[in-house]
Amino acid sequence: MNLELIWDNLPQLLKAFLVTLELSAVSIAGSTAIGLVVGALRTSRVPVVSQLARAYVEIFRGSPLPITLLFVYFGAALYLGYSVELFVASAVGLSIYHGAYVAEIFRSGIEAVPTGQREAAQTLGLSPMQTFRYVVLPQTRRIVFPPLIGQYISLIKDTSIAFVIGMVELMKAGQAIVDRTAEPVPVYLTIAALYFVICYPLSLWVRRNERKIVPA
Amino acid sequence: MLYQWRSVLEYLPDFLRAMGLTLWITLLAFALALVCGLGAALARNSKNAVLRLGAGAYVEIVRNTPVLLQIFVVFFALPSFGLRMDAVTAGTVAIGVNVGGYLCEVFRAGISSVARAQREAAQVLGLSSRQAFISVIAPQALRNVYPATVNNLIQVLLGTSLLTAIAVPELTGVATVINARTLLFVQVFAIALVLYLVLSNALSFASGLLGRVLFKPPLEQVRPGLWPVRRARTITTTAEVAA
Repeated sequence: MNLELIWDNLPQLLKAFLVTLELSAVSIAGSTAIGLVVGALRTSRVPVVSQLARAYVEIFRGSPLPITLLFVYFGAALYLGYSVELFVASAVGLSIYHGAYVAEIFRSGIEAVPTGQREAAQTLGLSPMQTFRYVVLPQTRRIVFPPLIGQYISLIKDTSIAFVIGMVELMKAGQAIVDRTAEPVPVYLTIAALYFVICYPLSLWVRRNERKIVPA
Repeated sequence: MLYQWRSVLEYLPDFLRAMGLTLWITLLAFALALVCGLGAALARNSKNAVLRLGAGAYVEIVRNTPVLLQIFVVFFALPSFGLRMDAVTAGTVAIGVNVGGYLCEVFRAGISSVARAQREAAQVLGLSSRQAFISVIAPQALRNVYPATVNNLIQVLLGTSLLTAIAVPELTGVATVINARTLLFVQVFAIALVLYLVLSNALSFASGLLGRVLFKPPLEQVRPGLWPVRRARTITTTAEVAA
């Protein structure tokens, strides 16, 4: 195998890897924020609100990520009058899409908190917001974290799909090297290793923590 | 506004043909995924250390690298080893192998969810371990893994959209082509979105029906669809969410 080729292109790949990491970090923050709000709205008793939240979740969970990315990318270009930076479009698309999955995770966590907790908080004079922030949310932590990290792993891998709108992250940078050198094997191995290094420890963490909560 | 929709709807036959290809690839890849998943699950539970290690490596590598990379590996890198496939085959294989890794974990969880006493009882009754697996363990495990398996079928469907990167004329690929031709991105991608929603809801509806026929007592509401169905509150397990 051509080790020299990897060595020569490593700086380029590592730079792209950094972009992947940045994109992942921004999208993780975005999807968590969206997911928390939508997940909380889904459990709300106001009819229209919970149904809207539900429609949001079902639409994005029933359609593929490239469609969302293309929508955001072309939509921003049309309505904002100028081509939005690819990084922003990718981050927004990833956040909106994975936000739907994250919302389901938060919903299942919120619904698992016994109603008595909420009632007790109400009796103690806490406002609905306070109840959510100080009573419900902290109790969802143990249920929510393992699947949430699992979702983040998918998100990190899904940053590669920003390829579809031409975002230069690890996958695209690697493919450019493959196109130039016609040596796919070493390049793909390097890319795979870089993704693996990030995702595998997280997977292990998920597996270790997942088991504890399964029996109710 | 209306004429824009009309000019995009002229392409409806193309959309529908692409939708057919998407469904076809989905079903083929899912069949492959079932085979890979079951094989890997059995291998990971076997007594042979080499098999266990091999299956473990397969699952971890496939689950911790992007699908898109796996598609590219099959399409661009395998030819260097003399394995040349056309884009549709390569994409089907890559997605099937990928989802197989996820299904392996689902199946393993399903097998271990069957009470140990069942296995012991089968042994006492004189069943060989193969007989015990086929007629005692598998039927009970199947019921437990069915919802997660259906979720993976939907993941296969959504994954086929990535084949646009290797120029397979499936739904997303055709939509980008029509978008480039008409520049009516709202209409084009809205139609693609609706068609994907039709596919994913049809698939989960069909598997819901199958779940009712297949199991006794029937499985209810395997995967919630887009339209509101009154249902008992389901508990989403971590395994289900992760899938």
